Amino acid sequence: MRRERARRLRYKVCGWLTGSALVGWAFWWSQVDLAALVRSGPRWRDFFTRMVPPDWSVTGVVLRSTVETLMIALAGTALAVVLALPLGFLAASNVTPAWIAQPVKWLLGFIRSIPLILVAFVCVMAVGLGPFPGMLAIAFHSLGMLGKFYAEEFETADPGIVAAIEGTGASWAQTVRYGVVPQSVPQIFSFTVYRLEMNFRDSAVLGLVGAGGIGYYIQLYMRSFRFERVVVLVVVVVVVVTLLDQLTFWVRRWAR
Amino acid sequence: MTPPRAAASSPVPRVLRTAVSGPRQEASVPPAIVLDNVVARFGELRALYLPRLEVRPGERLFVLGHSGSGKTTLARLIKGRLAPAAGRLRVLGQDPADPAQRRALARRVAMIDQEFHLVPRLRVVDNVLHGCLGRVPAWRSLVGLYPAAEWRRAESILDEVGLGGLGERRVDTLSGGQRQRAAIARALMQQADVILADEPVSNLDPELAEDALELLVGCVARRGVTLIVNLHQPELAKRFASRLVGLADGELVFDGPPEAFTAEDAQRVYRSGRPARSSDDQLAPGARAAAALQGLRLAHG
Repeated sequence: MRRERARRLRYKVCGWLTGSALVGWAFWWSQVDLAALVRSGPRWRDFFTRMVPPDWSVTGVVLRSTVETLMIALAGTALAVVLALPLGFLAASNVTPAWIAQPVKWLLGFIRSIPLILVAFVCVMAVGLGPFPGMLAIAFHSLGMLGKFYAEEFETADPGIVAAIEGTGASWAQTVRYGVVPQSVPQIFSFTVYRLEMNFRDSAVLGLVGAGGIGYYIQLYMRSFRFERVVVLVVVVVVVVTLLDQLTFWVRRWAR
Repeated sequence: MTPPRAAASSPVPRVLRTAVSGPRQEASVPPAIVLDNVVARFGELRALYLPRLEVRPGERLFVLGHSGSGKTTLARLIKGRLAPAAGRLRVLGQDPADPAQRRALARRVAMIDQEFHLVPRLRVVDNVLHGCLGRVPAWRSLVGLYPAAEWRRAESILDEVGLGGLGERRVDTLSGGQRQRAAIARALMQQADVILADEPVSNLDPELAEDALELLVGCVARRGVTLIVNLHQPELAKRFASRLVGLADGELVFDGPPEAFTAEDAQRVYRSGRPARSSDDQLAPGARAAAALQGLRLAHG
Protein backbone atom coordinates (compact mmCIF):
# COMPACT_ATOMS: atom_id res chain seq x y z
CA MET A 1 0.00 0.00 0.00
CA ARG A 2 2.78 2.42 0.98
CA ARG A 3 4.77 1.51 -2.14
CA GLU A 4 1.67 2.14 -4.24
CA ARG A 5 1.26 5.60 -2.68
CA ALA A 6 4.93 6.37 -3.29
CA ARG A 7 4.60 5.24 -6.90
CA ARG A 8 1.56 7.53 -7.40
CA LEU A 9 3.42 10.44 -5.82
CA ARG A 10 6.36 9.88 -8.18
CA TYR A 11 3.98 9.90 -11.15
CA LYS A 12 2.31 13.09 -9.90
CA VAL A 13 5.63 14.90 -9.39
CA CYS A 14 6.91 13.75 -12.79
CA GLY A 15 3.67 14.97 -14.40
CA TRP A 16 3.89 18.41 -12.82
CA LEU A 17 7.58 18.76 -13.67
CA THR A 18 7.01 17.72 -17.29
CA GLY A 19 4.05 20.09 -17.68
CA SER A 20 5.93 22.99 -16.12
CA ALA A 21 8.98 22.36 -18.30
CA LEU A 22 6.78 22.31 -21.41
CA VAL A 23 5.12 25.64 -20.53
CA GLY A 24 8.52 27.17 -19.70
CA TRP A 25 9.86 26.01 -23.05
CA ALA A 26 6.83 27.59 -24.77
CA PHE A 27 7.59 30.94 -23.11
CA TRP A 28 11.24 30.69 -24.15
CA TRP A 29 10.20 29.82 -27.70
CA SER A 30 7.88 32.87 -27.75
CA GLN A 31 10.94 35.08 -26.95
CA VAL A 32 9.22 36.65 -23.99
CA ASP A 33 11.00 39.96 -23.35
CA LEU A 34 9.78 41.71 -20.18
CA ALA A 35 12.22 44.60 -20.71
CA ALA A 36 10.69 45.34 -24.11
CA LEU A 37 7.25 45.23 -22.51
CA VAL A 38 8.31 47.78 -19.90
CA ARG A 39 9.93 50.02 -22.55
CA SER A 40 6.73 49.91 -24.68
CA GLY A 41 4.75 51.92 -22.12
CA PRO A 42 4.79 55.27 -23.98
CA ARG A 43 3.67 53.60 -27.21
CA TRP A 44 0.70 51.93 -25.49
CA ARG A 45 -0.19 55.28 -23.98
CA ASP A 46 0.06 56.99 -27.37
CA PHE A 47 -2.11 54.30 -28.95
CA PHE A 48 -4.88 54.56 -26.35
CA THR A 49 -4.69 58.39 -26.27
CA ARG A 50 -5.30 58.59 -30.00
CA MET A 51 -8.38 56.38 -29.61
CA VAL A 52 -10.28 59.11 -27.78
CA PRO A 53 -12.46 60.82 -28.52
CA PRO A 54 -13.95 58.21 -30.88
CA ASP A 55 -14.86 59.45 -34.36
CA TRP A 56 -18.56 58.56 -34.40
CA SER A 57 -18.94 60.01 -37.92
CA VAL A 58 -17.97 56.60 -39.30
CA THR A 59 -20.75 54.82 -37.37
CA GLY A 60 -22.94 54.41 -40.48
CA VAL A 61 -20.13 52.85 -42.52
CA VAL A 62 -19.11 50.67 -39.61
CA LEU A 63 -22.67 49.46 -39.01
CA ARG A 64 -23.14 48.63 -42.71
CA SER A 65 -19.89 46.64 -42.78
CA THR A 66 -20.83 44.99 -39.49
CA VAL A 67 -24.12 43.83 -40.97
CA GLU A 68 -22.22 42.50 -43.96
CA THR A 69 -19.85 40.63 -41.62
CA LEU A 70 -22.79 39.26 -39.66
CA MET A 71 -24.45 38.09 -42.89
CA ILE A 72 -21.21 36.42 -44.02
CA ALA A 73 -21.05 34.65 -40.66
CA LEU A 74 -24.72 33.66 -40.76
CA ALA A 75 -24.68 32.35 -44.34
CA GLY A 76 -21.37 30.58 -43.77
CA THR A 77 -22.61 28.96 -40.57
CA ALA A 78 -25.89 27.90 -42.22
CA LEU A 79 -24.03 26.28 -45.13
CA ALA A 80 -21.67 24.59 -42.67
CA VAL A 81 -24.59 23.21 -40.63
CA VAL A 82 -26.24 21.77 -43.75
CA LEU A 83 -23.02 19.97 -44.65
CA ALA A 84 -21.91 19.14 -41.11
CA LEU A 85 -25.10 17.34 -40.05
CA PRO A 86 -24.83 14.47 -42.56
CA LEU A 87 -21.07 14.32 -42.06
CA GLY A 88 -21.66 14.24 -38.30
CA PHE A 89 -23.98 11.26 -38.69
CA LEU A 90 -21.45 9.53 -40.91
CA ALA A 91 -18.68 10.16 -38.37
CA ALA A 92 -20.70 8.97 -35.34
CA SER A 93 -19.57 5.46 -34.48
CA ASN A 94 -22.87 4.52 -32.77
CA VAL A 95 -24.82 5.31 -35.95
CA THR A 96 -22.44 4.41 -38.77
CA PRO A 97 -20.11 1.42 -39.19
CA ALA A 98 -16.52 2.11 -38.16
CA TRP A 99 -15.19 1.68 -41.69
CA ILE A 100 -17.21 4.73 -42.72
CA ALA A 101 -17.06 6.70 -39.47
CA GLN A 102 -13.26 6.68 -39.11
CA PRO A 103 -12.41 8.04 -42.61
CA VAL A 104 -15.08 10.74 -42.20
CA LYS A 105 -13.50 11.70 -38.87
CA TRP A 106 -10.12 11.97 -40.62
CA LEU A 107 -11.69 14.14 -43.34
CA LEU A 108 -13.20 16.46 -40.72
CA GLY A 109 -9.83 16.64 -38.95
CA PHE A 110 -8.12 17.55 -42.23
CA ILE A 111 -10.66 20.33 -42.88
CA ARG A 112 -10.18 21.67 -39.35
CA SER A 113 -6.43 21.75 -39.66
CA ILE A 114 -6.34 24.20 -42.58
CA PRO A 115 -6.01 27.78 -41.23
CA LEU A 116 -8.97 30.02 -41.98
CA ILE A 117 -6.82 32.77 -43.48
CA LEU A 118 -5.37 30.29 -45.99
CA VAL A 119 -8.85 29.08 -46.96
CA ALA A 120 -9.94 32.70 -47.38
CA PHE A 121 -6.93 33.45 -49.64
CA VAL A 122 -7.75 30.47 -51.83
CA CYS A 123 -11.45 31.44 -52.02
CA VAL A 124 -10.59 35.05 -52.95
CA MET A 125 -8.24 33.79 -55.66
CA ALA A 126 -10.91 31.39 -56.92
CA VAL A 127 -14.06 33.56 -56.95
CA GLY A 128 -12.73 37.11 -56.63
CA LEU A 129 -13.03 39.81 -53.96
CA GLY A 130 -16.14 40.47 -51.83
CA PRO A 131 -18.31 38.78 -49.22
CA PHE A 132 -18.90 35.58 -51.22
CA PRO A 133 -15.37 34.15 -50.81
CA GLY A 134 -15.57 35.13 -47.14
CA MET A 135 -18.77 33.15 -46.76
CA LEU A 136 -17.23 30.15 -48.50
CA ALA A 137 -14.16 30.28 -46.29
CA ILE A 138 -16.26 30.50 -43.12
CA ALA A 139 -18.45 27.60 -44.23
CA PHE A 140 -15.47 25.40 -45.08
CA HIS A 141 -13.61 26.17 -41.88
CA SER A 142 -16.69 25.70 -39.66
CA LEU A 143 -17.56 22.42 -41.34
CA GLY A 144 -14.62 20.62 -39.75
CA MET A 145 -15.42 21.73 -36.23
CA LEU A 146 -19.21 21.45 -36.42
CA GLY A 147 -19.01 17.99 -38.04
CA LYS A 148 -16.70 16.75 -35.28
CA PHE A 149 -18.85 18.26 -32.56
CA TYR A 150 -22.09 16.86 -34.00
CA ALA A 151 -20.52 13.41 -34.31
CA GLU A 152 -19.35 13.49 -30.70
CA GLU A 153 -22.76 14.68 -29.55
CA PHE A 154 -24.53 11.88 -31.45
CA GLU A 155 -22.12 9.40 -29.91
CA THR A 156 -23.13 10.43 -26.40
CA ALA A 157 -26.81 9.55 -27.05
CA ASP A 158 -28.14 7.11 -24.43
CA PRO A 159 -27.76 3.70 -26.10
CA GLY A 160 -30.75 2.40 -24.12
CA ILE A 161 -33.06 4.91 -25.79
CA VAL A 162 -31.57 4.16 -29.20
CA ALA A 163 -32.10 0.42 -28.62
CA ALA A 164 -35.67 1.08 -27.45
CA ILE A 165 -36.52 2.97 -30.65
CA GLU A 166 -34.80 0.35 -32.80
CA GLY A 167 -36.73 -2.29 -30.87
CA THR A 168 -40.05 -0.93 -32.16
CA GLY A 169 -39.05 -2.12 -35.64
CA ALA A 170 -37.86 1.33 -36.68
CA SER A 171 -35.53 1.65 -39.66
CA TRP A 172 -32.00 3.08 -39.38
CA ALA A 173 -33.21 6.53 -40.43
CA GLN A 174 -36.14 6.43 -37.99
CA THR A 175 -33.87 5.27 -35.18
CA VAL A 176 -31.49 8.16 -35.84
CA ARG A 177 -34.37 10.65 -36.20
CA TYR A 178 -36.17 9.65 -33.00
CA GLY A 179 -33.52 7.89 -30.92
CA VAL A 180 -30.41 9.99 -31.50
CA VAL A 181 -31.41 13.46 -32.74
CA PRO A 182 -33.83 14.47 -29.94
CA GLN A 183 -31.19 13.68 -27.34
CA SER A 184 -28.60 15.81 -29.16
CA VAL A 185 -30.73 18.81 -30.12
CA PRO A 186 -29.97 21.08 -27.14
CA GLN A 187 -26.21 20.76 -27.50
CA ILE A 188 -26.37 21.03 -31.28
CA PHE A 189 -28.34 24.29 -31.13
CA SER A 190 -26.14 25.65 -28.41
CA PHE A 191 -22.87 24.90 -30.16
CA THR A 192 -24.15 26.09 -33.55
CA VAL A 193 -25.01 29.52 -32.11
CA TYR A 194 -21.66 29.57 -30.34
CA ARG A 195 -20.01 28.78 -33.68
CA LEU A 196 -21.97 31.66 -35.24
CA GLU A 197 -20.45 33.98 -32.66
CA MET A 198 -16.97 32.62 -33.42
CA ASN A 199 -17.62 33.01 -37.14
CA PHE A 200 -18.59 36.64 -36.66
CA ARG A 201 -15.26 37.28 -34.98
CA ASP A 202 -13.42 35.28 -37.66
CA SER A 203 -15.30 37.12 -40.44
CA ALA A 204 -14.08 40.40 -39.00
CA VAL A 205 -10.55 39.30 -39.86
CA LEU A 206 -11.37 38.08 -43.37
CA GLY A 207 -11.52 41.64 -44.75
CA LEU A 208 -7.73 41.69 -44.40
CA VAL A 209 -7.48 39.39 -47.42
CA GLY A 210 -10.20 41.14 -49.41
CA ALA A 211 -13.08 38.91 -48.35
CA GLY A 212 -15.38 41.79 -47.37
CA GLY A 213 -16.94 42.94 -44.12
CA ILE A 214 -15.64 44.87 -41.18
CA GLY A 215 -12.10 43.58 -41.65
CA TYR A 216 -11.63 45.87 -44.66
CA TYR A 217 -12.19 48.93 -42.46
CA ILE A 218 -10.03 47.53 -39.67
CA GLN A 219 -7.03 47.34 -41.98
CA LEU A 220 -7.90 50.68 -43.66
CA TYR A 221 -8.09 52.61 -40.38
CA MET A 222 -5.13 50.82 -38.79
CA ARG A 223 -2.84 51.48 -41.76
CA SER A 224 -3.82 55.14 -41.78
CA PHE A 225 -3.36 55.35 -37.96
CA ARG A 226 -7.01 56.47 -37.50
CA PHE A 227 -7.28 54.87 -34.06
CA GLU A 228 -10.26 57.11 -33.14
CA ARG A 229 -12.15 55.25 -35.88
CA VAL A 230 -10.76 51.84 -34.90
CA VAL A 231 -12.29 52.26 -31.45
CA VAL A 232 -15.76 52.64 -33.05
CA LEU A 233 -15.19 49.35 -34.84
CA VAL A 234 -14.17 47.72 -31.58
CA VAL A 235 -17.24 49.03 -29.76
CA VAL A 236 -19.59 47.72 -32.46
CA VAL A 237 -17.91 44.30 -32.53
CA VAL A 238 -18.09 44.04 -28.74
CA VAL A 239 -21.81 44.91 -28.78
CA VAL A 240 -22.59 42.35 -31.50
CA VAL A 241 -20.58 39.60 -29.79
CA THR A 242 -22.34 40.33 -26.49
CA LEU A 243 -25.73 40.11 -28.19
CA LEU A 244 -24.74 36.80 -29.83
CA ASP A 245 -23.61 35.52 -26.45
CA GLN A 246 -27.02 36.38 -25.03
CA LEU A 247 -28.65 34.69 -28.02
CA THR A 248 -26.64 31.54 -27.25
CA PHE A 249 -27.98 31.59 -23.71
CA TRP A 250 -31.60 31.98 -24.89
CA VAL A 251 -31.23 29.24 -27.50
CA ARG A 252 -29.73 26.86 -24.96
CA ARG A 253 -32.58 27.52 -22.55
CA TRP A 254 -35.22 27.15 -25.27
CA ALA A 255 -33.78 23.93 -26.70
CA ARG A 256 -33.06 22.02 -23.49
CA MET B 1 -28.25 -29.03 -12.65
CA THR B 2 -31.23 -29.52 -10.36
CA PRO B 3 -34.19 -30.63 -12.43
CA PRO B 4 -37.05 -28.12 -12.51
CA ARG B 5 -39.73 -28.91 -10.02
CA ALA B 6 -42.78 -30.40 -11.66
CA ALA B 7 -46.00 -28.48 -11.31
CA ALA B 8 -47.87 -29.84 -8.36
CA SER B 9 -51.16 -28.95 -6.87
CA SER B 10 -50.54 -27.26 -3.55
CA PRO B 11 -52.82 -25.13 -1.45
CA VAL B 12 -52.30 -21.46 -2.14
CA PRO B 13 -53.57 -18.68 0.08
CA ARG B 14 -56.54 -16.90 -1.46
CA VAL B 15 -54.71 -13.56 -1.64
CA LEU B 16 -51.96 -15.06 -3.74
CA ARG B 17 -54.18 -16.56 -6.38
CA THR B 18 -53.82 -15.03 -9.83
CA ALA B 19 -55.95 -11.97 -10.34
CA VAL B 20 -56.54 -12.62 -14.02
CA SER B 21 -57.25 -16.14 -15.15
CA GLY B 22 -54.66 -17.80 -17.35
CA PRO B 23 -55.13 -18.62 -21.02
CA ARG B 24 -56.66 -21.86 -22.12
CA GLN B 25 -54.50 -22.95 -25.04
CA GLU B 26 -55.13 -25.81 -27.37
CA ALA B 27 -52.22 -28.21 -27.61
CA SER B 28 -52.14 -27.78 -31.40
CA VAL B 29 -51.38 -24.04 -31.26
CA PRO B 30 -47.68 -23.56 -32.06
CA PRO B 31 -45.64 -22.02 -29.25
CA ALA B 32 -44.85 -18.32 -29.44
CA ILE B 33 -41.33 -18.88 -28.17
CA VAL B 34 -39.16 -21.98 -28.19
CA LEU B 35 -35.75 -22.31 -26.57
CA ASP B 36 -33.97 -25.56 -27.19
CA ASN B 37 -30.63 -26.18 -25.47
CA VAL B 38 -29.96 -22.46 -25.63
CA VAL B 39 -26.72 -21.22 -24.11
CA ALA B 40 -25.84 -17.55 -23.65
CA ARG B 41 -22.28 -16.58 -22.85
CA PHE B 42 -20.44 -13.40 -21.93
CA GLY B 43 -16.86 -14.32 -22.75
CA GLU B 44 -16.01 -17.39 -20.71
CA LEU B 45 -19.00 -16.94 -18.41
CA ARG B 46 -22.06 -19.06 -19.13
CA ALA B 47 -24.89 -16.69 -18.26
CA LEU B 48 -27.81 -18.91 -19.19
CA TYR B 49 -28.51 -22.50 -20.13
CA LEU B 50 -32.06 -23.59 -20.94
CA PRO B 51 -32.46 -27.19 -22.12
CA ARG B 52 -36.09 -26.61 -23.12
CA LEU B 53 -38.55 -23.79 -22.62
CA GLU B 54 -41.73 -23.17 -24.56
CA VAL B 55 -44.03 -20.20 -24.13
CA ARG B 56 -47.56 -20.57 -25.45
CA PRO B 57 -49.36 -17.66 -27.14
CA GLY B 58 -51.27 -15.58 -24.59
CA GLU B 59 -49.33 -16.90 -21.61
CA ARG B 60 -48.29 -14.53 -18.84
CA LEU B 61 -44.90 -15.93 -17.96
CA PHE B 62 -43.19 -14.36 -14.97
CA VAL B 63 -39.48 -15.09 -14.58
CA LEU B 64 -38.13 -15.03 -11.05
CA GLY B 65 -34.53 -15.04 -9.93
CA HIS B 66 -31.93 -13.05 -8.09
CA SER B 67 -29.74 -10.46 -9.81
CA GLY B 68 -27.43 -12.22 -12.23
CA SER B 69 -29.63 -15.30 -12.49
CA GLY B 70 -30.11 -14.84 -16.24
CA LYS B 71 -33.52 -13.11 -16.41
CA THR B 72 -32.36 -10.12 -18.42
CA THR B 73 -30.21 -12.34 -20.60
CA LEU B 74 -33.31 -14.38 -21.43
CA ALA B 75 -35.24 -11.23 -22.36
CA ARG B 76 -32.36 -9.96 -24.49
CA LEU B 77 -32.16 -13.30 -26.30
CA ILE B 78 -35.86 -13.21 -27.12
CA LYS B 79 -35.67 -9.57 -28.22
CA GLY B 80 -32.71 -10.35 -30.47
CA ARG B 81 -30.33 -8.05 -28.61
CA LEU B 82 -28.12 -11.01 -27.83
CA ALA B 83 -27.35 -14.03 -30.01
CA PRO B 84 -27.26 -17.45 -28.34
CA ALA B 85 -23.84 -19.08 -28.20
CA ALA B 86 -25.48 -22.44 -28.85
CA GLY B 87 -28.89 -24.01 -29.22
CA ARG B 88 -32.04 -23.18 -31.11
CA LEU B 89 -34.23 -20.16 -30.40
CA ARG B 90 -37.43 -19.38 -32.25
CA VAL B 91 -39.66 -16.40 -31.54
CA LEU B 92 -42.96 -16.39 -33.42
CA GLY B 93 -41.39 -19.01 -35.69
CA GLN B 94 -38.41 -16.84 -36.54
CA ASP B 95 -34.80 -16.62 -35.47
CA PRO B 96 -34.26 -13.30 -33.68
CA ALA B 97 -30.52 -13.46 -34.27
CA ASP B 98 -30.99 -13.60 -38.04
CA PRO B 99 -30.25 -10.09 -39.39
CA ALA B 100 -32.66 -10.64 -42.30
CA GLN B 101 -35.57 -11.21 -39.89
CA ARG B 102 -34.52 -8.88 -37.10
CA ARG B 103 -36.48 -5.76 -38.04
CA ALA B 104 -39.71 -7.59 -38.89
CA LEU B 105 -39.45 -9.54 -35.64
CA ALA B 106 -38.56 -6.44 -33.61
CA ARG B 107 -41.90 -4.96 -34.64
CA ARG B 108 -43.72 -8.03 -33.24
CA VAL B 109 -41.81 -8.21 -29.94
CA ALA B 110 -42.10 -5.14 -27.72
CA MET B 111 -39.88 -4.54 -24.72
CA ILE B 112 -40.38 -2.46 -21.60
CA ASP B 113 -36.98 -1.82 -20.07
CA GLN B 114 -36.22 -1.36 -16.42
CA GLU B 115 -35.21 2.27 -17.06
CA PHE B 116 -38.18 2.80 -19.45
CA HIS B 117 -35.86 4.46 -22.02
CA LEU B 118 -38.33 7.11 -23.13
CA VAL B 119 -36.99 10.23 -24.86
CA PRO B 120 -37.11 12.74 -21.98
CA ARG B 121 -37.26 15.91 -24.10
CA LEU B 122 -40.24 14.78 -26.16
CA ARG B 123 -43.93 14.84 -25.34
CA VAL B 124 -45.60 11.75 -23.95
CA VAL B 125 -47.66 11.32 -27.12
CA ASP B 126 -44.51 11.49 -29.28
CA ASN B 127 -42.97 8.73 -27.22
CA VAL B 128 -46.10 6.62 -27.55
CA LEU B 129 -46.17 7.21 -31.31
CA HIS B 130 -42.65 5.79 -31.50
CA GLY B 131 -44.36 2.44 -31.04
CA CYS B 132 -45.78 2.62 -34.57
CA LEU B 133 -42.50 3.48 -36.33
CA GLY B 134 -42.21 -0.06 -37.62
CA ARG B 135 -45.43 0.09 -39.62
CA VAL B 136 -45.64 3.76 -40.68
CA PRO B 137 -44.11 4.80 -44.03
CA ALA B 138 -40.60 6.09 -43.35
CA TRP B 139 -41.06 9.49 -45.03
CA ARG B 140 -44.18 10.24 -42.97
CA SER B 141 -42.58 9.34 -39.68
CA LEU B 142 -39.36 11.19 -40.47
CA VAL B 143 -41.23 14.48 -40.86
CA GLY B 144 -43.55 13.69 -37.96
CA LEU B 145 -46.66 13.25 -40.13
CA TYR B 146 -48.15 10.17 -38.50
CA PRO B 147 -51.44 8.94 -40.00
CA ALA B 148 -54.59 10.15 -38.22
CA ALA B 149 -55.46 6.56 -37.27
CA GLU B 150 -52.17 6.23 -35.39
CA TRP B 151 -52.85 9.49 -33.53
CA ARG B 152 -56.27 8.20 -32.52
CA ARG B 153 -54.76 4.90 -31.42
CA ALA B 154 -52.08 6.69 -29.37
CA GLU B 155 -54.69 8.85 -27.65
CA SER B 156 -56.88 5.85 -26.95
CA ILE B 157 -53.95 3.94 -25.43
CA LEU B 158 -53.01 6.95 -23.33
CA ASP B 159 -56.56 6.96 -21.97
CA GLU B 160 -56.34 3.22 -21.36
CA VAL B 161 -53.15 3.52 -19.28
CA GLY B 162 -54.49 6.49 -17.33
CA LEU B 163 -52.43 9.18 -19.04
CA GLY B 164 -55.31 10.82 -20.90
CA GLY B 165 -54.74 14.56 -20.89
CA LEU B 166 -51.02 14.20 -20.26
CA GLY B 167 -50.04 13.54 -23.88
CA GLU B 168 -48.72 17.07 -24.40
CA ARG B 169 -46.50 16.97 -21.30
CA ARG B 170 -42.78 16.41 -21.69
CA VAL B 171 -41.68 13.04 -20.37
CA ASP B 172 -39.08 14.62 -18.10
CA THR B 173 -41.89 16.33 -16.18
CA LEU B 174 -43.63 13.04 -15.37
CA SER B 175 -43.39 11.06 -12.14
CA GLY B 176 -41.84 7.59 -12.07
CA GLY B 177 -45.24 5.90 -12.13
CA GLN B 178 -46.41 8.04 -15.05
CA ARG B 179 -43.25 7.25 -17.00
CA GLN B 180 -43.88 3.58 -16.38
CA ARG B 181 -47.37 3.98 -17.86
CA ALA B 182 -45.93 5.86 -20.84
CA ALA B 183 -43.50 3.00 -21.43
CA ILE B 184 -46.39 0.51 -21.28
CA ALA B 185 -48.34 2.73 -23.73
CA ARG B 186 -45.44 2.71 -26.20
CA ALA B 187 -45.25 -1.09 -26.00
CA LEU B 188 -49.03 -1.39 -26.56
CA MET B 189 -48.81 1.05 -29.49
CA GLN B 190 -46.42 -1.36 -31.15
CA GLN B 191 -49.29 -3.88 -31.46
CA ALA B 192 -46.77 -6.62 -30.80
CA ASP B 193 -47.56 -10.31 -30.36
CA VAL B 194 -45.11 -10.62 -27.47
CA ILE B 195 -44.36 -8.07 -24.77
CA LEU B 196 -41.24 -8.42 -22.66
CA ALA B 197 -40.93 -6.46 -19.45
CA ASP B 198 -37.55 -6.48 -17.73
CA GLU B 199 -37.90 -5.57 -14.05
CA PRO B 200 -40.67 -3.13 -14.99
CA VAL B 201 -41.52 -2.14 -11.43
CA SER B 202 -38.12 -2.10 -9.78
CA ASN B 203 -38.07 1.74 -9.75
CA LEU B 204 -41.52 2.05 -8.19
CA ASP B 205 -42.72 1.85 -4.61
CA PRO B 206 -44.69 -1.31 -3.69
CA GLU B 207 -48.13 0.24 -4.18
CA LEU B 208 -47.29 1.76 -7.56
CA ALA B 209 -45.58 -1.49 -8.56
CA GLU B 210 -48.77 -3.43 -7.95
CA ASP B 211 -50.84 -0.87 -9.87
CA ALA B 212 -48.40 -0.91 -12.79
CA LEU B 213 -48.44 -4.70 -13.00
CA GLU B 214 -52.23 -4.77 -12.76
CA LEU B 215 -52.41 -2.26 -15.61
CA LEU B 216 -49.89 -4.14 -17.75
CA VAL B 217 -51.52 -7.52 -17.20
CA GLY B 218 -54.98 -6.06 -17.82
CA CYS B 219 -53.96 -4.40 -21.11
CA VAL B 220 -52.16 -7.52 -22.27
CA ALA B 221 -55.07 -9.80 -21.33
CA ARG B 222 -57.49 -7.66 -23.36
CA ARG B 223 -55.26 -8.06 -26.40
CA GLY B 224 -54.42 -11.74 -25.91
CA VAL B 225 -50.73 -10.92 -26.18
CA THR B 226 -47.97 -13.14 -24.79
CA LEU B 227 -46.33 -11.47 -21.81
CA ILE B 228 -42.98 -12.25 -20.25
CA VAL B 229 -42.08 -10.32 -17.13
CA ASN B 230 -38.83 -10.46 -15.19
CA LEU B 231 -39.52 -9.78 -11.57
CA HIS B 232 -37.89 -9.90 -8.17
CA GLN B 233 -41.06 -10.10 -6.10
CA PRO B 234 -42.48 -13.65 -5.96
CA GLU B 235 -45.67 -12.51 -4.25
CA LEU B 236 -46.50 -10.15 -7.13
CA ALA B 237 -45.51 -12.74 -9.71
CA LYS B 238 -47.81 -15.33 -8.13
CA ARG B 239 -50.68 -12.87 -8.23
CA PHE B 240 -50.39 -11.88 -11.88
CA ALA B 241 -48.71 -14.78 -13.70
CA SER B 242 -50.34 -17.66 -15.50
CA ARG B 243 -47.01 -19.47 -15.29
CA LEU B 244 -43.82 -19.02 -13.31
CA VAL B 245 -40.27 -19.80 -14.24
CA GLY B 246 -37.47 -19.65 -11.69
CA LEU B 247 -33.85 -19.14 -12.68
CA ALA B 248 -30.84 -19.56 -10.46
CA ASP B 249 -27.29 -19.06 -11.67
CA GLY B 250 -28.43 -19.20 -15.28
CA GLU B 251 -30.33 -22.45 -14.95
CA LEU B 252 -34.01 -23.34 -14.82
CA VAL B 253 -35.00 -24.47 -11.31
CA PHE B 254 -38.76 -24.05 -11.46
CA ASP B 255 -41.35 -24.13 -14.22
CA GLY B 256 -44.99 -24.40 -13.38
CA PRO B 257 -48.23 -22.68 -12.47
CA PRO B 258 -48.05 -19.98 -9.80
CA GLU B 259 -50.09 -21.94 -7.31
CA ALA B 260 -47.43 -24.65 -7.37
CA PHE B 261 -44.66 -22.24 -6.40
CA THR B 262 -43.97 -22.82 -2.73
CA ALA B 263 -41.63 -21.36 -0.15
CA GLU B 264 -39.36 -24.32 -0.83
CA ASP B 265 -39.22 -23.34 -4.52
CA ALA B 266 -38.45 -19.77 -3.55
CA GLN B 267 -35.52 -21.09 -1.51
CA ARG B 268 -34.20 -22.88 -4.56
CA VAL B 269 -34.71 -19.91 -6.89
CA TYR B 270 -32.96 -17.58 -4.47
CA ARG B 271 -30.51 -20.14 -3.12
CA SER B 272 -27.51 -18.08 -4.23
CA GLY B 273 -26.91 -14.53 -5.27
CA ARG B 274 -25.27 -11.35 -4.21
CA PRO B 275 -23.91 -10.92 -0.70
CA ALA B 276 -26.06 -9.27 1.94
CA ARG B 277 -25.93 -5.46 1.92
CA SER B 278 -28.51 -4.16 4.36
CA SER B 279 -30.16 -5.30 7.52
CA ASP B 280 -32.97 -6.90 5.51
CA ASP B 281 -30.35 -8.68 3.47
CA GLN B 282 -29.02 -10.36 6.58
CA LEU B 283 -31.53 -13.05 5.71
CA ALA B 284 -30.31 -15.39 3.00
CA PRO B 285 -31.94 -14.50 -0.35
CA GLY B 286 -33.92 -17.70 -0.35
CA ALA B 287 -35.19 -17.05 3.14
CA ARG B 288 -36.26 -13.55 2.15
CA ALA B 289 -38.25 -14.83 -0.82
CA ALA B 290 -39.85 -17.48 1.31
CA ALA B 291 -40.70 -14.91 3.95
CA ALA B 292 -42.22 -12.70 1.27
CA LEU B 293 -44.42 -15.58 0.20
CA GLN B 294 -45.64 -15.91 3.73
CA GLY B 295 -46.93 -12.40 3.62
CA LEU B 296 -44.03 -10.55 5.15
CA ARG B 297 -43.13 -7.40 3.25
CA LEU B 298 -39.37 -7.13 3.07
CA ALA B 299 -37.45 -4.55 1.14
CA HIS B 300 -35.83 -6.03 -1.91
CA GLY B 301 -32.30 -4.94 -2.84
